[in-house]
Amino acid sequence: MYKIVTKRELVPHINLFEFSAKEIAAKIKPGQFVILRIDEHGERIPLTVADADVEKGTITVVCHEVGKTTKQLGKLKEGGHILDLLGPLGNPAEIEKFGTVLCIGGGVMVAPLCFQAKAFREVGNKVIGVLGARTKSQLIFEKEMREACGELYVATDDGTKGHKGLDFIKNLLKERKIDRVVAMGPIVTMKTVSELTRPYDTPTIVNVIPIMVDGMGMCGACRVTVGGKTMFACVDGPDFDGHQVDFEELMTRLKMYSPEEKLAFIFYEKGRRSL
Amino acid sequence: METDKEELRIGVFVCHCGFNIGGVIDVPAVVEYAKTLPNVVCAEENLYSCSSEGLSLIKERVKKYNLNRVVVASCTPATHEPVFRKACEEAGLNKYLFEMVNIREHSSWVHMHHPKEATEKAKDLIRMAVAKASYLEPQIEPELEIKPSAMVIGGGIAGMTAAMSIARQGFNVHLVENEAELGGMLRYLYKLQPTERDASEVLREAVTAVKANSNIHLHMSTLVQEVKGFIGNFGVTLQKKDSNEPEQISVGTIIVATGAEEFKPVGMYGYKENENVITEVELEQLLKKGELQEPKKVVMIQCVGAREKTGRTYCSRICCMVALNNAMLLKKLYPDVEISILFRDLQTYGEYEDFYLKARENFIDFIRYDPDKTPKVTSKPDGKLVVTVYDAYLDAEIEMDSDLVVLSAPLIQHEDGRKLSSILKVPLGPDGFFLEAHPKLRPVDFASEGIYVCGTAHGPKNVTESIAQAYAAASRAAIPMAVRKIRAEAVKASVDPEICVGCDACVVSCIFNAIEALPFGQPHIVEANCKGCGVCAAECPMGAMQLIHFKDEQIVAAIEALLKPKKLTSSSESFEPIVLCFACQWCSYAAADLAGVSRIQYPPNVRILRVPCSGRVDVLHILKAFLNGADGVIITGCLIGDCHYIDGNVKAKSRVDVMKKSLKALRVDPERLEIGFASSSEGQKFATMMTNFVEKIRKLGLNPLRVKEGGD
Repeated sequence: MYKIVTKRELVPHINLFEFSAKEIAAKIKPGQFVILRIDEHGERIPLTVADADVEKGTITVVCHEVGKTTKQLGKLKEGGHILDLLGPLGNPAEIEKFGTVLCIGGGVMVAPLCFQAKAFREVGNKVIGVLGARTKSQLIFEKEMREACGELYVATDDGTKGHKGLDFIKNLLKERKIDRVVAMGPIVTMKTVSELTRPYDTPTIVNVIPIMVDGMGMCGACRVTVGGKTMFACVDGPDFDGHQVDFEELMTRLKMYSPEEKLAFIFYEKGRRSL
Repeated sequence: METDKEELRIGVFVCHCGFNIGGVIDVPAVVEYAKTLPNVVCAEENLYSCSSEGLSLIKERVKKYNLNRVVVASCTPATHEPVFRKACEEAGLNKYLFEMVNIREHSSWVHMHHPKEATEKAKDLIRMAVAKASYLEPQIEPELEIKPSAMVIGGGIAGMTAAMSIARQGFNVHLVENEAELGGMLRYLYKLQPTERDASEVLREAVTAVKANSNIHLHMSTLVQEVKGFIGNFGVTLQKKDSNEPEQISVGTIIVATGAEEFKPVGMYGYKENENVITEVELEQLLKKGELQEPKKVVMIQCVGAREKTGRTYCSRICCMVALNNAMLLKKLYPDVEISILFRDLQTYGEYEDFYLKARENFIDFIRYDPDKTPKVTSKPDGKLVVTVYDAYLDAEIEMDSDLVVLSAPLIQHEDGRKLSSILKVPLGPDGFFLEAHPKLRPVDFASEGIYVCGTAHGPKNVTESIAQAYAAASRAAIPMAVRKIRAEAVKASVDPEICVGCDACVVSCIFNAIEALPFGQPHIVEANCKGCGVCAAECPMGAMQLIHFKDEQIVAAIEALLKPKKLTSSSESFEPIVLCFACQWCSYAAADLAGVSRIQYPPNVRILRVPCSGRVDVLHILKAFLNGADGVIITGCLIGDCHYIDGNVKAKSRVDVMKKSLKALRVDPERLEIGFASSSEGQKFATMMTNFVEKIRKLGLNPLRVKEGGD
């Protein structure tokens, strides 16, 4: 059992959890993820780590309620417990001194991106941040990102705050010397960023978390095509070259179990009786 | 939920249709029943609702009772919905506030010997429609401007023909060709069958006409790089090969005429190993240039790399005629040459049969080979070839010396075609060729409005067929350009951003590219591309995506209205199975109509609920049906491969498979759920499907969930 040390609602339906997990906290690095299970009937869900406190022995994740398990997780309270927490999984992000790193995050993935941005800065990079979400009310971690990055831009799909869309980064790529781009967020965010950076040949790293089961390279559920080769996101990734990833396939594979997910959610949300 | 929270005032009109309905169904009783339904302020009967008297009555009642919803129970909406919608509009009521009930094709005509049950069914269907009508909303049909210019991609014979046809109708055409000269495959051909006309002559005439037409703008050595937008206003980025600056054009319609290429059967029958093994197209080029040395013996091999067990499984259609044509030309040129054609099946359809007979008269030798014992071509040290083939008629291996082997290889899609498919977001079929919207009914349209296909880009064709299809595509493309404006259906996807979580399941599910994901995941609906199938709504895990006019609340209201009054107080009560049938508005609904028109009788236990596509049926709808006590649920759609939305029925099938597993958990027998497919001509099949399903459900007995809580 792993204790929920902190639970904080960042915006409606997006929660931050700090779990007590001493062994994981001691080892986990930015870019890596954990797989959790709420109870013995629970689904295993991968979550990218957003922070680790070695002294306190805690790790932090941020989770959006998008289905049955995440909704159920959102109902848990501070002081409560989850059954399993497995990690660190995946390879840590490559944190080196590259020069100027542009960190672009969308939705809940802004939180783990912030963890990376801090690490990039610590080793001497200049970090430019882009904080994005579908709409203003979904933006999270603005304060944290502002602290982690020397320079921060905000963007939304509907233009309710900051830039509308991501086209504005073309100017950054044109006018500034960007040595590396890191994109974390919905697949479409990483796809858009990769397409935008391709003409400039800027190395672009994306963090891919497809459907996963064991997270240790055994099941093959998380396969992703990178440069025409099949890779397993859990053991070969989750970081890949954004210019090589087949995002279309990735999006399709992510929706493989949509009817099942929908049913599970209807059952959970409405309960059998009230249907 | 109801519109503007105005008070609902529903009018129900029940049609006798002379004796067609009134002869079986007790119409006055149905009218009396309709009056008892919630929000119904007026219920009337009509002898013929669609007559001018009938329509006047509806209009008059709308005004008199200030009706804000109209339900007509009569015949099939396939033929009469526009009539009643128009009457509503004339009475000042938005046509989307009208709901139709089919009690003729789906009741009186198919339950002729069960007047009591047919009457009961009519009441149920009206109750469902009234419930749905309560949730209907007025809609505005958007109007789209169409730019009167077209882009034709591909400057072969099909593309040139289509461009000429459009240009002659007075529209501007941008003809885009990736090579430096026009003509495509035709440039490599020698004499066209069956007239032996010079290909170069045909080509010259076409090229001259195209170049002389001032409405045609040629873009040579140019590739289509990007296409944005939709019918009426496509923004196209063209990239000339020797230029750095891309060119932008905007067009109202697009025709794909990118052609195909001959498969190069490297490694088969010594091709590319011995220079005397060539393809039919290569033979034509040698003939054309006069570079062929007189051969003594020629062996032609058919179906090389075609009709295979996997991959290129298709027949390339034209090769038999091409081989016959070239064989005859060789005979004419060199009367002493011996020619053998080794074939699997000679497919010389239509007039080409004469061609085949003439070839036999000219002593061309035909030998059938077995696909499991394909011929062998070996080279002798002097470069001569030996062909061995097993002849089933002789039951013996035949060995032939030959100085030229000509292979009939199929036409295949080329790399540029594949790229174009993803640029235009139009699909390719399993054979790699461009896939039309419907194999029977829309043979030159793509599923995306405003984009059409012709020529060998669509599959192997001869020149005549390519030209015919080019004219067809040009005339299809000219329609919106001539009308200048089209009215789009209001039945479209619509997303509630408050409920949406940005998972983009809708984006992935939409085959028409009508939903784009914005950079942070927000789905954006491109209304002009939306066909209104509702697949996205069924895929949306949150219920944030809805299909206007077929929203979850509207469908669920109909389901609950049907089933709630059918609950039983105890499981020992005698019961008649209640079967809910979701029917797609195209083939399966039409099949049910045809069963009615043909008076094919089936059990009166089935209640049909019309949906745009079987792919709209959501797991939620199925669940609601069972939890409210449906004894059986059957989803019907078009035949696989015939779906009017490409693969909505396939998606429905996979959802049913998932649902079956989950029903076990509810302790509902998965056998109570079924999916079936019928074409619009399969009335009998539809009736049989219903009969068998009702029988199966009768054997399974009562759905335990149909018993009222506390009653069991």
